[in-house]
Amino acid sequence: MIKATTVDKKFEDLQAVSNLNLHVQKGSIYGLLGSNGAGKTTLLKMIAGIYKQDKGNITVSGHTVYETPDSKQRVLFIPDQPYFLHQTSLNNMASFYEKVYTNWNAKRFKRLTTHFRMDPDKKLKSMSKGMQRQASFILTLSTMPEVLILDEPFDGLDPVVRQQIKNLILQDVADRGLTLLVSSHNLREMEDFCDYVGIMHKGTLLFERDMDELKTDIHKLQIAFRKVPEKSFLDGLDVLHYEKRGSVVLCIVKGKVEEISSYVVSYNPAIFDLLPLTLEEIFIYELGGVGYEIRNLIVE
Amino acid sequence: MFTLDTRSRVPIYEQLIEQLKMMMMREVLMQDDKLPSVRSLAQELTINPNTIQKAYRELEREGFTYSIPGKGSFVAPFQIDANKERLEMLKEDMEKIVSEILFLGGSKDELIQLIEKVKVAEREDAE
Repeated sequence: MIKATTVDKKFEDLQAVSNLNLHVQKGSIYGLLGSNGAGKTTLLKMIAGIYKQDKGNITVSGHTVYETPDSKQRVLFIPDQPYFLHQTSLNNMASFYEKVYTNWNAKRFKRLTTHFRMDPDKKLKSMSKGMQRQASFILTLSTMPEVLILDEPFDGLDPVVRQQIKNLILQDVADRGLTLLVSSHNLREMEDFCDYVGIMHKGTLLFERDMDELKTDIHKLQIAFRKVPEKSFLDGLDVLHYEKRGSVVLCIVKGKVEEISSYVVSYNPAIFDLLPLTLEEIFIYELGGVGYEIRNLIVE
Repeated sequence: MFTLDTRSRVPIYEQLIEQLKMMMMREVLMQDDKLPSVRSLAQELTINPNTIQKAYRELEREGFTYSIPGKGSFVAPFQIDANKERLEMLKEDMEKIVSEILFLGGSKDELIQLIEKVKVAEREDAE
């Protein structure tokens, strides 16, 4: 559905995105995660056809988006800062969208506006950040998009609205096979929402994986020994991180549950726990592996 | 119908599979009953429809359900040995308890005596 191959983008001296490959399947919800300044927004804007890549190829269902009105009918982008035309109300924007988007669904627009209790004649600029965001969701979902690209979409929304909007989006995914590409820092939230994740760092994609596979492939081990074996005991495991607190060993290990368990059990541990990792932990350990670890600063 | 623990480390599709299996074993879902549609479940629980699809695929692969194209998933004829799974679970619990008893100074003989006692009590009950 969305395919980016060897994409480069440079802003003057800053290499924002370099040699990046990304694939999003139809009907999937893809979470784009990454460190601050990793180039997530730049990438999203290139896929949405707002920026032009310097090198490489980006297609959405086989067509380019940049300066292609046909594709832009179907690929909708909600930026992190909602944008509306000057001095407009929700109704003004709706009539503008109706002229631009051929699939505009007026019935849906009306239902959503009432459902979210929005005043359609109030000036959008005078509304709060959260209300403006709701307005952009209402407008965007009413164009019946095939691909939705969201940059930090749930920022500034209260939990009730957040849940309602997610629910609406999920219905579109289930009913119409809507494809979603979402960037976020809220890993807790992404964990339940996405089925695919990609982690970006310094303009490249570190990896992209099926979420459930990711969670069942990396584990946190807590092992306590009566007598701690030599460190060489770890050689039989694919260890990402290792920590020892007294006689308790904590490590992050890649691999299959059965293989890891039987290996560890053969060393006769006193206590042995194997837990799946949370997305937050995966994020921290993976980025730690490329030199972006947590360094605690003590300020006086 | 379902309670998902989004704080749990267990992936959501595994939680779904577990709960559906449990419902089948307890016969809340009977043979040939229709499982809720992906769409309605996605809406009800606000979770990714792909996650639900994955859980359903897995259940079908394990023989718990069968699907009719265009109609949905249904509970397969009863072939799960519910007792067997329960037995395995109890044995695992038992192992933990036994090792604790032994650690606290209990003896093997005491455990055997305990089993004999339970057995006798059960026989008397039956009579």
